Amino acid sequence: MIGQGGPNSGRTLLFVPGRSVLHRINPLTKLVGLLWLAATTFMLPPAGMAAVALAAIIFGVLAGAGATFVKRLILTLLPLTIALFVVHGVLIDRGDMVDHGLISVSPEGLKYMFGIVVRVAALLTVSLLFVTTTHPAILLKALDSHGISPGIAYLIASPLLLLEPFSVRARAIRDAQQARGLDLNGRWVARAKAFPALLIPLVTLALSDLDQRASVLDGRAFRARPFRTVLDAPLDRPWETWARRLLLVAIPVQIGVVLWL
Amino acid sequence: MKFDTRTLVLMAIAIVINVVVGQLAVWVKLPLYIDAVGTVLVAILAGPLAGAVTGVLTNLIWGLVSDPVAAAFFPVSLVVGLVAGLMARLGWFRTLGKTAVSGVVVGVISTIVAVPIIVYMFGGVTGAGTDFATAYFVAVGQELIKSVAVANLATNLIDKILTCAIAWIIASRMPGRFTASFPFYQKANA
Repeated sequence: MIGQGGPNSGRTLLFVPGRSVLHRINPLTKLVGLLWLAATTFMLPPAGMAAVALAAIIFGVLAGAGATFVKRLILTLLPLTIALFVVHGVLIDRGDMVDHGLISVSPEGLKYMFGIVVRVAALLTVSLLFVTTTHPAILLKALDSHGISPGIAYLIASPLLLLEPFSVRARAIRDAQQARGLDLNGRWVARAKAFPALLIPLVTLALSDLDQRASVLDGRAFRARPFRTVLDAPLDRPWETWARRLLLVAIPVQIGVVLWL
Repeated sequence: MKFDTRTLVLMAIAIVINVVVGQLAVWVKLPLYIDAVGTVLVAILAGPLAGAVTGVLTNLIWGLVSDPVAAAFFPVSLVVGLVAGLMARLGWFRTLGKTAVSGVVVGVISTIVAVPIIVYMFGGVTGAGTDFATAYFVAVGQELIKSVAVANLATNLIDKILTCAIAWIIASRMPGRFTASFPFYQKANA
């Protein structure tokens, strides 16, 4: 249950190259900003959440990621909105059903639906703002330059670097097996039988070079020092350091204020 | 706790396996996720903590590169790795029958963690196939939280039993020299 909606079957990364202001801000500042906005979203009324989502979309378009925003918003929000409308607007009887001929709809249910949709939209758009303007490799350099341990850096960096070649490998296995007669469009029994034919070669290949990878890492003594040095660390301006500190303090303070009130 | 280099590499590969196997499930158009095979494999070979870390990082990395909504479900992946590792420690991954029982336990506990996230963050629906079952149970008069629980439990049980079985088959078919250097696996299967 990584994501209830399932993975992207196309491009692996959502990152959009560019030179916008957001692209140039240090990834750690953006990450802390994302956490602050996510925490803030839960404290806002629906109109505030909608404003956050709209602002994030505008910044996304200015950063050149408009198409990615539109695609992800439609893919995520359309099925969610339909399901929320059916369950909360039509099926759950809150005692305020209004008859519209073919169906009866609950205004209270629609209000609840709107609240959920704008909250998910706000969280999704601020997350997209981060992922579309931050390449994982730059994020890793930022983490390295702030003294993250080599083990944690490897656990974050290695999957990001392996994801693309493994996706290519999976597609090659699929194409090869289809050339040998594998049926991916037949009845569900045929498709269920096709699953091991795709899975086993992929996992076996992935695990077969585990020893070699471990030996190479040990040979490089990659954990000999407590942290790695970065030759071209992302720019980190003094105001960004202060902004991060301020936002990191603001998150628990905001949560505390909301709980107190 | 500091993981040895081999375990670190296994965890990194398992994260990629989780993501890519999720893509395979989409290609074969099965109404299942099967996206925790790597997490359970690490839990069987290296223990509950390594499994939990693999699960959390899978969701955070998936959220980072492709689907930000996935990050919201990181607690579910955490308990999948943790519970699978604890079941492996207790010897419940030694035979296919025991593995199926482990799948049931993992499925039930992961559903208990997933339901509040689905209900309070997404209003009880997620835009996935399970929403049809949720809508049916709501339509016949069940409470929303019960409907979400029942709908997701049914899917999760099949998904996690299958996930545990696949991970067990992979682990048990690996050469002895591969599994020999995972002390947790050796101890759990002694």
